[in-house]
Amino acid sequence: MSSPDPTVPPGDAGGESAEAGYYHLAKAVLYREYLIFVRYPANAVGAIVVSLIFFGLLFYGGRMLAGQALTDSLEGIVVGYFLWTLSVGAYSSVSNDIRSDVSWGTLERHFMTPFGFAPVAFAKGVAKVVRTFLTSTVVLAVMLLVTGTTLALPVVTILVVATFTILSVMGLGFAAGGLSVLYKRIGNWLNLLQFGFVVLISAPAFELSWTEFLPLVHGSALLQRAMRDGTRIWEFSPADLALLVGVAAVYVVAGYAVFHYASRRARRLGVLGDY
Amino acid sequence: MASQSREQPVGRSGSSDAVADERDDEVDARARRATAPPAISVEGLSKTFGSGPDAVTAVNDVSFTVERGSVVGLLGPNGAGKTTTIKSILGMVLPDEGSVRIRGIDVHANPRQAYRHVDAMLEGARNDYWRLTVRENLRYFSTISGVDPNAVADRHESLLAQLDLAGRADTPVRDLSRGMKQKVSLASVLATDADVVFLDEPTLGLDVESSLTLRRELRRIVAERGLTVVLSSHDMDVIEDVCDRVVIMSDGQVIADDSVTSLLGGFDTHGYRIRGQDFDEQTVAAIRERFEVTEVERFDGRVHVEVATDSAGFYELTDLLEAHGVTLDAVNTVEPDLEEAFLEMTGGGAR
Repeated sequence: MSSPDPTVPPGDAGGESAEAGYYHLAKAVLYREYLIFVRYPANAVGAIVVSLIFFGLLFYGGRMLAGQALTDSLEGIVVGYFLWTLSVGAYSSVSNDIRSDVSWGTLERHFMTPFGFAPVAFAKGVAKVVRTFLTSTVVLAVMLLVTGTTLALPVVTILVVATFTILSVMGLGFAAGGLSVLYKRIGNWLNLLQFGFVVLISAPAFELSWTEFLPLVHGSALLQRAMRDGTRIWEFSPADLALLVGVAAVYVVAGYAVFHYASRRARRLGVLGDY
Repeated sequence: MASQSREQPVGRSGSSDAVADERDDEVDARARRATAPPAISVEGLSKTFGSGPDAVTAVNDVSFTVERGSVVGLLGPNGAGKTTTIKSILGMVLPDEGSVRIRGIDVHANPRQAYRHVDAMLEGARNDYWRLTVRENLRYFSTISGVDPNAVADRHESLLAQLDLAGRADTPVRDLSRGMKQKVSLASVLATDADVVFLDEPTLGLDVESSLTLRRELRRIVAERGLTVVLSSHDMDVIEDVCDRVVIMSDGQVIADDSVTSLLGGFDTHGYRIRGQDFDEQTVAAIRERFEVTEVERFDGRVHVEVATDSAGFYELTDLLEAHGVTLDAVNTVEPDLEEAFLEMTGGGAR
């Protein structure tokens, strides 16, 4: 079969439309996330309800057991729980999304993209994180109402600190996604890591300084200061901010490297996309 | 594309200019076609999975090229190495040896450049997102393939119309029938700017009518846009109907690479179907004695006999019939089809 137009050499018909840039990519994945969010609200509502039930058990159960001691540390628990829901969302957004594409059959099309597989996976992860911010904000609002706690809400500071904090977790999500591409049905094991975030979020960063280099730890401490003490971003020391950004960058790069290595190994073994 | 601006030579005007321009364009296009690298070039591709005694060589020194604008069928029994070959071409499997170029671009060295020209339907109806609508899928996958969806909106609309999806364009894919889902998958691949398209079993699971419609529209779209298509299917009718050329693989190697017509031409006429009167049992017995009779059917006093033989045998057969006083009503040749050719070449077909 050949082109009926003799002036168009066969196979020259494509590749000429306006190219999409990273802006278009970001818009497309965000819009897809938005569509699924509004079209299937039960998923989002379900996630919020489960988070709140979990918090309710923690709050009321803890108050029965610990009484005043819990009430004294309630602000810290609310902030920590807010960060934990964000972290779980960020981590699972990348790893689960890759797993879902692998099992569904759409991974190949995200692999064969001029943007590169990793940037597309990252963009999809960011889109899910935006959604997680919305649901976590609802969870935070309900927690504040239920517990009667008052927190400072410097929005810009919270957004910046929380974003850099969960970037390190997204790095872990990338690594987990890479392992999923390579080893497939290991989702349950990878999800266990989410409970490890509780330890990281509540780690005593100021007492054990080495823990600050772990994901979440330093960011969690800064978020506590921002939301409990009302510290603004410009009031943090440059060293604190540098550490926040540095930890985020290191874990994202490391996660990306694991993802890249795992994808390459999967291609070598011929298991990319097989489920 | 052909040059849009051209200097106006003195003394040319009106329709003669247009004819001359057209001729020049055609010459330019031919020259480009002659010098442009092929759409796909596979050289010495080899891939072995595992090592030691468990090692399996899936692809062994496979080479072929696909010219721009052609539609090539990739055939082979299960385990022949088709999927590994396709995935190696698409960069999803790293070969041990060999190179793959798409429009002259090394897929493994410069994947991002190559992927501007390629898309694939590898998972049938699960090639897109069922929770999005048909139109949303087309826009989403256009963007992922590096094309601004607004720039190809017209193409999307015409694809929806051609594949009879316009009325369901705003319906989530999950609510469509199997056949329509398959069409959406195809549409989402053709919606991109790719000019090299891989289609794995595009008609799998479709009823006869849907399959015919899809094949017809695929032929039309491919011809209109000058696409290069590599199509893998177990349905020989689809291959015969849509493809210009067939590459047949067996045990990880290419065992045939030719046009459908040439492949079938390599096989002698399989036999002859004869309808005649005055056939008695003795005549049939005499035919059976000297020929391989594949079918005997009697009705309305006439007999249909199908005999497997070559042209030399046919003359012997007519002599025999004449000697037995048979009056011939009709003689038809029984031609081999692609399925028979495929089975003979691969030594038995699907495993």
